[in-house]
Amino acid sequence: MLNETYDVLIIGSGHSGGMAAKILTEYGIRCIMLNAGPVADVTRDAQQKHAYELPYRGFRPPGQIEHVFQSNGFNANVWVDEREVPYTAKEDQPYNWVRVRLFGGRSLFWSRQSFRLSDYEFKAKSHDGFGEDWPISHADLAPYYSRVEGILRVMGAQDGVPQLPNGNFIPDDAPWTLALQRFIEIAKPRGIPVCKQRRALGRDGLASSVNLLLPDAEATGKLTSIANAVVRELTVDKNTGLPNGCNFVDRLTHRELSVKARVVVLAAGTLESTRILLNSNLANSSGLVGRYLMDQVYGPGVLASVPQARRGNINAWMGSAAIVPRFRNISTKTDKFLRGYAINTTASVEAVSARNFALYGAELQRKLDEYYGSGFYMTIMGEVLGRYENHVRIDKERKDAWGIPVLHVDTKYTDNEFNMAKDAVETACELADASGFEILSKNDKPNPPGYSIHEVGTCRMGDDPKKSVLNKFSQSHDHKNLFVVDGAQFTSAGWQNPTTTILALSMRASEYLAGEMTRQNI
Amino acid sequence: MRRRDFVRGLVAVGAASKVLLGQQAVAPPPPPAPVPWLLGLNAKTPMPHVQAAEEVATAELRFFSPQQMATLTRLSDVLMPAVGEKPGAVQAKAPVFLDFLIGSSPDDRQRLYSAGLNWLDAESKKKYNAEFARLTDQQAGELLKPWMRTWLNDHPPTEEHADFVNIAHDDIRTATVNSHEWSIAPERGREPRTEEELYWSPIQPDLSPQSGRALSVPPHVQAIPPSKHRIPSYPR
Repeated sequence: MLNETYDVLIIGSGHSGGMAAKILTEYGIRCIMLNAGPVADVTRDAQQKHAYELPYRGFRPPGQIEHVFQSNGFNANVWVDEREVPYTAKEDQPYNWVRVRLFGGRSLFWSRQSFRLSDYEFKAKSHDGFGEDWPISHADLAPYYSRVEGILRVMGAQDGVPQLPNGNFIPDDAPWTLALQRFIEIAKPRGIPVCKQRRALGRDGLASSVNLLLPDAEATGKLTSIANAVVRELTVDKNTGLPNGCNFVDRLTHRELSVKARVVVLAAGTLESTRILLNSNLANSSGLVGRYLMDQVYGPGVLASVPQARRGNINAWMGSAAIVPRFRNISTKTDKFLRGYAINTTASVEAVSARNFALYGAELQRKLDEYYGSGFYMTIMGEVLGRYENHVRIDKERKDAWGIPVLHVDTKYTDNEFNMAKDAVETACELADASGFEILSKNDKPNPPGYSIHEVGTCRMGDDPKKSVLNKFSQSHDHKNLFVVDGAQFTSAGWQNPTTTILALSMRASEYLAGEMTRQNI
Repeated sequence: MRRRDFVRGLVAVGAASKVLLGQQAVAPPPPPAPVPWLLGLNAKTPMPHVQAAEEVATAELRFFSPQQMATLTRLSDVLMPAVGEKPGAVQAKAPVFLDFLIGSSPDDRQRLYSAGLNWLDAESKKKYNAEFARLTDQQAGELLKPWMRTWLNDHPPTEEHADFVNIAHDDIRTATVNSHEWSIAPERGREPRTEEELYWSPIQPDLSPQSGRALSVPPHVQAIPPSKHRIPSYPR
């Protein structure tokens, strides 16, 4: 079977690969999908346990996933083991590369916040002169966004704010709780919009490629999938110079295998797709593969306590969540930084963590009882600027468990990001103060780059083949039968969670590809 | 290959001697037959109950010195004493667990703890002319309180000494709350609960190239031909 030639090889099974598989197979195109890890079967692989039954009482197993701050002892084994697939970075420039290689990838675990980019992002250069405009605008992507929102079943409100375009939502008309009402009253006169959260409901509590996209592709009978297929490099047809498949390693047996296809779609996630391209020496006539690594500033934030909600008076006051979309550099201009940040705002009904009190023992427990369910969280998502210097390259010294050269990540935040973080925390503190909430803890230091798991931009799209890797249809400028449909294609990062945009771009690229294949242009 | 041949040779010698012994015995040996033991293991098979080793076993110190352990034990008792019906850190064996956790951890975490415990003991000797392990609650509090900070996830204090005190406090709390002792103690208020979640086992693990290659080695002996029946999985 491996000698067969498929129409399209899709590398990666997360949201971007799942969408490509769905669209292409529905056009009758025969696809083969490779995924580097196994299928996760919850009935076989998972069991309800107490922390004391775990190897490390709920702590992360030391050394296995030091850079995955999101992990704990329960879910430690779903992330890529850093000893198995290492990556390198300078000691003073840590990078958190958070990876999942199960079928469905990170689409199994994302936070499901679903925001469109606006033309403040797509046309950011026109707005403030920095970086490059995308080769597309919101109008180009809007029809695809709508279809993606339908598939994900995004719940939200039509807030009508230009920097957060409306969409095809399941209406959220729940009233705000009192804490949020108070917050909105304070924010509004300061020109700070407060919108309903927009979250993918998915189906049965899951909004993943494995339950929303891959079943449609499989129903066509046109999709062949292989698990545990770790791609070593793309292969090239000697006569045409075009990619024609890939070599891969079976994860478990270390057997070297290959598949052939007329078209290659990379959907392995921003940095993994980039690593494959760099290891294959393809698509890089611009020299920009791996350049302009971006993500979002996470970590800065403020935790306040709503006094009225303390001592158990939680229900009326707490329980809503809001998104404050970017408000800096929209209608006014700050000289402290370019672009802006959003604030995730949550009036939590849960326990406030002990870290928020400089106390211990019985005194601490009394405080925890009193403050239970009164926590008001404000955390930022700040846009990181695309800079040429922030890049990834192949580390010639190190290889992973299958002998594949690993990535070296060379990226750091600049004053633009640090100033943004400071402004966000000052603003959040001012809003909390004015609302009458008590500030418990605050932090203006960003987490290491990568923490947001929103890494984008290392194969950016553009009209000029000298300044970009892909064209406006996510197609390589160099090889017409090579597409990159994941976050790597972003021209700027925005403050928004990228998943919805990745899905819309993958859908658009796949329909374009299907059309070109039908017209026999590819 | 050579080693496997050697092993097979040993097995053959063993079998041959048994045959010889059998000839001398009174009763004839039962005819050799494969034992289909896997077929008997099914959904009705009772599952043995096992305890977490920590609940019953003890461990020897392998990372901290006895002096550091004495300091850590006192520190744990001060920061996380028994409150209400819940056990304190010492009853929950948090210090012994931390010896294991920190002993397995990367260098920077080990340095934080070793240096932090040594510093605390030295401060205690300077101020009270006594080891930290012998301080009263009040004396220990006077040493610790100036270093207590509030902090958000992933951003513990970076200031020297405050980093150790606050990170250790957090670890001691987690190790205590996640202990078996804590989970079985009755709840009276809003104490934190022992985490209970879906635990993911290693999924088709291939954690090292060696283990991956090992899987491709064929088994030495085929016990029985593959069964036509799939072994049912256990309902959970």
